[in-house]
Amino acid sequence: MKVLIANRGEIAVRVARACRELGLTSVAVYSDCDRESLHVRAADEAWPIGAPPARESYLDIGKLLGVARKSGATLVHPGYGFLAENAAFSDACAAAGLTFVGPSAASIRLMGSKTAARDAAIAAGVPVVPGTDGPFAADASDEHILAEGDRIGFPLLVKAVAGGGGKGMRSVASRDDLLAAVRTAGSEAASAFGDASVFLERLVVRPRHVEVQLMADSHGTVIPFVERECSIQRRHQKVVEESPSTRVSEKTRRAMAECAAAVARSANYTGAGTIEFLLDVAPDGQEHFYFLEMNTRLQVEHPVTEMVTGIDLVHCQLRVAMGERLTIDPERALTPRGHAIECRVIAEDPDQGFMPSPGRVLGLTVPHGPGVRDDGGVAEGFEIPIYYDSLIAKLVVWGESRDVAIARLRRALSEYQVRGVRTTLPFFRWLTEQPEFASADFHTAWLDGVLAARKGEPFTAVSDADMRAAVIAAAVHAHAMASRVSGDRRSGQAGASAPASKWQQASRIEGLR
Amino acid sequence: MTFEIELGGRLFKVAIDAAASGGALRMTIDGEPVTVDARPTSAGYSLLVDGRVLDAAVTDGAARGEIVVHLPNVSVPVSIDASRRRGKAARHADGEQRITAPMPGRIVRVLAKPGDAVELRQPVIVIEAMKMENELRAPKAGTIKEVAVEPGASVEAGRLLVVIE
Repeated sequence: MKVLIANRGEIAVRVARACRELGLTSVAVYSDCDRESLHVRAADEAWPIGAPPARESYLDIGKLLGVARKSGATLVHPGYGFLAENAAFSDACAAAGLTFVGPSAASIRLMGSKTAARDAAIAAGVPVVPGTDGPFAADASDEHILAEGDRIGFPLLVKAVAGGGGKGMRSVASRDDLLAAVRTAGSEAASAFGDASVFLERLVVRPRHVEVQLMADSHGTVIPFVERECSIQRRHQKVVEESPSTRVSEKTRRAMAECAAAVARSANYTGAGTIEFLLDVAPDGQEHFYFLEMNTRLQVEHPVTEMVTGIDLVHCQLRVAMGERLTIDPERALTPRGHAIECRVIAEDPDQGFMPSPGRVLGLTVPHGPGVRDDGGVAEGFEIPIYYDSLIAKLVVWGESRDVAIARLRRALSEYQVRGVRTTLPFFRWLTEQPEFASADFHTAWLDGVLAARKGEPFTAVSDADMRAAVIAAAVHAHAMASRVSGDRRSGQAGASAPASKWQQASRIEGLR
Repeated sequence: MTFEIELGGRLFKVAIDAAASGGALRMTIDGEPVTVDARPTSAGYSLLVDGRVLDAAVTDGAARGEIVVHLPNVSVPVSIDASRRRGKAARHADGEQRITAPMPGRIVRVLAKPGDAVELRQPVIVIEAMKMENELRAPKAGTIKEVAVEPGASVEAGRLLVVIE
């Protein structure tokens, strides 16, 4: 059986590996700038799908279905991103007689709408962040708005229905500020989105982002897994994920798992999915969780769940797509064995405000050894394209305790080198030394606050010992090059032993002149 | 054999005596002696510096004579014999720093004009690329000598944007 992998980069490599392990033939696709990409080399077959911009290649449903037809693939794995949560793609696969490795188009549509997903969660008896049932009518009275505010409680958020990127959103500390905030958020949303309707939601102060992975088969089995903690975020993008969460009690774990399974059942869900929750740990230690949204795909951070449960989620996805029944022991899925942490190694320069840093990977040293997993998507010599997400690899570590996992993470980060492009590795080396990281004392806005306070101070400090080491290495290198040049001059030919560098070639030419 | 090695704004004078015993190199760094056993690896050198283990990878730098030494946890740009080379090739004036576009993109804002004094890491230009606005900061404190682009311009990677002296 053949599987078309409608993606690129590390996740396409990850899926190709799973295919090989299951005896399935993998079919990669590549845009014009990806011919030399690792995901092409990891697959059994590979076909071109057009120009680098994603909408002309990885987002072009017609071209992808064309490759499926040509190669004889019967399954389509969308990975994450690109078309993974596109109901039209799921529909198109079904119409072409292909099996989409993921949920039905109906499930994707239901969970893709924030309001429909929230309604589905409420109907399944799952707690949501308390708020108004819908937007206020345009002629809502001041008395009505104030009464709703009192019912929800302060502090609260005024949110525009059409809002996004912080526009049309106001946090309100007390009753006195509510009416003004509703008015300004409404007019801001009207000018930005052409829709002035707003609603109210309780503001959870210093929330944590905790999510529950689940797998569901077409025979009615739904298996929720131990939670992932993803509170370390930069501008709402997850940066570090771990499992389990240090702030989730066994009781809350089981309650969240039950809620996640209830949402999945109510949506007739099949395949891998994730329910995201906001976790509010009150000063008295009480844990409250609220449904945020459902992601109808495999997630970037799925390896931490695999590391603490020993269950391969991509194997599960493919087996479920082929109609098999899940045979996972529910207790095993819900019981973490040790602790796992993932860092997203991204081609961004943390010392330049995390600016993308595309370029050629001149050299790569990937950490190995006990408890270390690297899900990489690039090889040495590869030019990281400017067209796509700049994730290079996911470094995942496992330890029997969180402390051991952190020690292992620091060790692995000290071994990891991506030469030629700037990456987030120096940032992670800094992050893993922060006391709040060690004590897991963070929330979703913690990292942004700490970064703002640093005011661009570099993450890499070059110590005197580093300087001395670099001087010695540079001197050894200069000496080796010079010796080779004089040796070449004597023998009258270019040396063939050491790694050739442009500088070396230049100095050689100069020496011969 | 002697080399002038420059990094982080500091100059080190290194002399190497190749004829030490057992293949080790005897060198002095600004007069201070050190014995280094060096073996090539796939990416650079395995070094024993007076018995201490040091693994260093080496890649090309931005210009001729510049390399990057990659140590565990940190990568350090180094120039070798820069002053000798400068004497030969008469490169641009000492201490002048150029900000070039790190990637293709569009100039959103220019935050400084010629004659302005800037501090280290002060944002001087904003470029939009990969759907993100990115601040380019001054690599050193100094005075803006030249601004080579205007807001709205599309630029290729490597295009000169600002000169600081």
